[in-house]
Amino acid sequence: MNIKDILTPFTAWANVVKEPVTIKDPFNREAAPRYRGFHDNDIEACIGCGTCEAICENQAIDLIPVDGVETKDGDSGLRPQVDYGRCCWCALCVDICTTDSLRLTNEYTWIDTDPDNFIFTPGVTPKSWYKKEEGWRKPGNGYEFYSKERVDMEELHAEERIDSFIEFVKGYSKEQAEKEADRCVSCGICTATCPAHMGIPEYIKAIRNDDLEEGLRVLYETNPLPEICGRICTHKCEDVCSVGHNGDPLSIRWLKRYIADQNPSEKYKEILNQDTSKSNGKKVAIIGAGPSGLSAAYYLALLGYECTIFEKLPEAGGMMRYGIPEYRLPYDQIDKDVNYILELGVEIKYGVNIGTDIKLEQLGKDFDAVFSGTGLHLGRSTRIPGTDNENVYFATDLLREIVLGKDIYVPEKIVVIGGGNVAMDITRSLARLQQIKYGKVDCTATSLESEDIMPADREEVVEAREESAIVDPGWGPKSIEIENGKVKGLNVVKCLSVFDENHAFSPKFDEDNKKFFPADMVVESIGQGMDLSYLSKEFKEKLKFTERGRIKVDEYFQSGVEWLFVGGDIIEGPDVIHGIANGHKAAVGIDNLLNK
Amino acid sequence: MKSFIEKLNSKYVLQEVVYQRDDLVFAAIKKENAIDAITYLRDYEDFTHLVLMSCVDWIEDGKYQLLYLLHNPILKNDIGIKVYIDRENPEMVSAHHLWKSIWTYQREMHEAFGIVFPGSPRLKENFVVEGWDEIPFMRRDFDTHEYAEKTYFPRGNRKSNDPAEYMRKKLYPSQPVTAKQRKDDK
Repeated sequence: MNIKDILTPFTAWANVVKEPVTIKDPFNREAAPRYRGFHDNDIEACIGCGTCEAICENQAIDLIPVDGVETKDGDSGLRPQVDYGRCCWCALCVDICTTDSLRLTNEYTWIDTDPDNFIFTPGVTPKSWYKKEEGWRKPGNGYEFYSKERVDMEELHAEERIDSFIEFVKGYSKEQAEKEADRCVSCGICTATCPAHMGIPEYIKAIRNDDLEEGLRVLYETNPLPEICGRICTHKCEDVCSVGHNGDPLSIRWLKRYIADQNPSEKYKEILNQDTSKSNGKKVAIIGAGPSGLSAAYYLALLGYECTIFEKLPEAGGMMRYGIPEYRLPYDQIDKDVNYILELGVEIKYGVNIGTDIKLEQLGKDFDAVFSGTGLHLGRSTRIPGTDNENVYFATDLLREIVLGKDIYVPEKIVVIGGGNVAMDITRSLARLQQIKYGKVDCTATSLESEDIMPADREEVVEAREESAIVDPGWGPKSIEIENGKVKGLNVVKCLSVFDENHAFSPKFDEDNKKFFPADMVVESIGQGMDLSYLSKEFKEKLKFTERGRIKVDEYFQSGVEWLFVGGDIIEGPDVIHGIANGHKAAVGIDNLLNK
Repeated sequence: MKSFIEKLNSKYVLQEVVYQRDDLVFAAIKKENAIDAITYLRDYEDFTHLVLMSCVDWIEDGKYQLLYLLHNPILKNDIGIKVYIDRENPEMVSAHHLWKSIWTYQREMHEAFGIVFPGSPRLKENFVVEGWDEIPFMRRDFDTHEYAEKTYFPRGNRKSNDPAEYMRKKLYPSQPVTAKQRKDDK
């Protein structure tokens, strides 16, 4: 026997003092930094869009109301609840999360005797792991389930569009529209914000399925003016788009336009398949062929009412035709929407002025109900010295006269007072007329509001500047300089703030910081007023008015006089989509009244 | 790596060559030449180690893509060989004679995608699921959602809300809406 054989077993004793390779406490072992463990949700950032629920292959997620979270524009008020009896921690819910609020921490142990406890609301049900920073988050390195960038809309360049009124937004091609539609997560958060509550996810889905006839049917359920809204809607829906929380919001407006553009007008009747041949024998008069009047007529016609629209101007559309310039909304597109409504049997009597040609009270006698959507067609004045000069105009009057084909005064230098969309419309229209007449543009728009709070859509300001118009915001008009009865320009002072701490209109100025805009013509575009002269004094006494001088209506737009319904810009807005929604609801209200 | 890929390309026509990293290249080889190429890589180019084998379902193209990831322990390089096979009749020449470990991968591909590797040992034995009578579960046309719904009973204490519907009821219950919603309300 060898001495080595005796000693070798004792060498094993050396291992007694070594650190063991096994884990002492397997329950408190930290997982890897990107481990996909238990959920956490940032309740403030989450908007309850439900894409986590939709993508979950195991149906482990429900959306439930949570105390303290309010349902409002852009937030459903719901939050995801996870069932750990079904979850497989694949983290698809995290990877699709539109707000990046959902994550998985790297916590992975949870012992409980009651199976029902394993259903919990991340971020709401108190859990120890929320404080853990490590775990799985959306990688964000280009790994995305939907594109963050919207498909660009092709437009004519400023040089190509400045010398005419042709439409400059080209519209999506099939490939572009389908690519853009593919970004939609179908959450439907946008629907509540749209004043007409359009079925936005449904019509976007129709684009994805290349079923544009179905798309048109979806559009017409809530909006009979899709060509128009597809071009000039204020698209509040896009402001709340869940995809917009982390990228560009969907181009909802352009997608709507795509559906309407692709369906030829001669096929509308066949596609929409709406039968209005059966009359219910009741008649409704509608004052004004603007968005609210047309919408009311459309929905009433579908219910079997005989509708007659009385329009003061020679063509239908109201502000859509006589306020919005042709380069944004071509007349043939207005006609396409209007003609379909006429095909349903709606009649329009043009050139009829209610109040003078026919008394409103007479309409009330001749018809079973009356809807009035007369709009805001009167300009408002700043009332600064000099506004009584003949070369000081209202934007609404000029826009209307351009459409009516009248020869308007276009001097070489023009200044526009106002920072809203109408101000941009008149600025850009006059810039075009200057380009046509003089081959150059010298038109300045100045507003009280500074650049960041200008009420105009951002794109309008950008496009106006592209077209060589000057937009110089943040100035308060003081006086119009008149010399020998001629306009010489506009005196302004710096505006420091427009609203006080209670958000009330109360502009403050720095009187020492002055500026002078030389001009031969001044256009005021600081808002519009309503012309209610068609209401006689005795009639007015029967109506109720709000503190702001608007006619008081109930939720179905019924006024104090039972047979009179009022809607559109004179009640809500001003914009097209509110008018459409008002008209739709008033139609339901009229039907409720006459079908009692 | 580049010169090696050029050399390989002259022997077996490579497609979709992607230089992923300095030490990792992907390339597609035609089904007929793939096992030949893999054998050559193992026996002449020192790619002696099979790292893994996997599969992707390109349902839109009607193809499965097999991936053989090989490692060269001398140069510390990796090459991923992609092979596209027909999705309708998914069959691939077995490579079980090259590495024993590939038996298991091929068994997994068979269970998860339904791919047949003729001659591969124990191919049809269960891998992770027992008594499976649906279409293979990793195929993209397998509806996991539907399967979960019909297989696992729902808990009685769960109820969900559709965001758009919930917002309608909360924010604008009286607004006239779509025909479908009007019908649902009734």
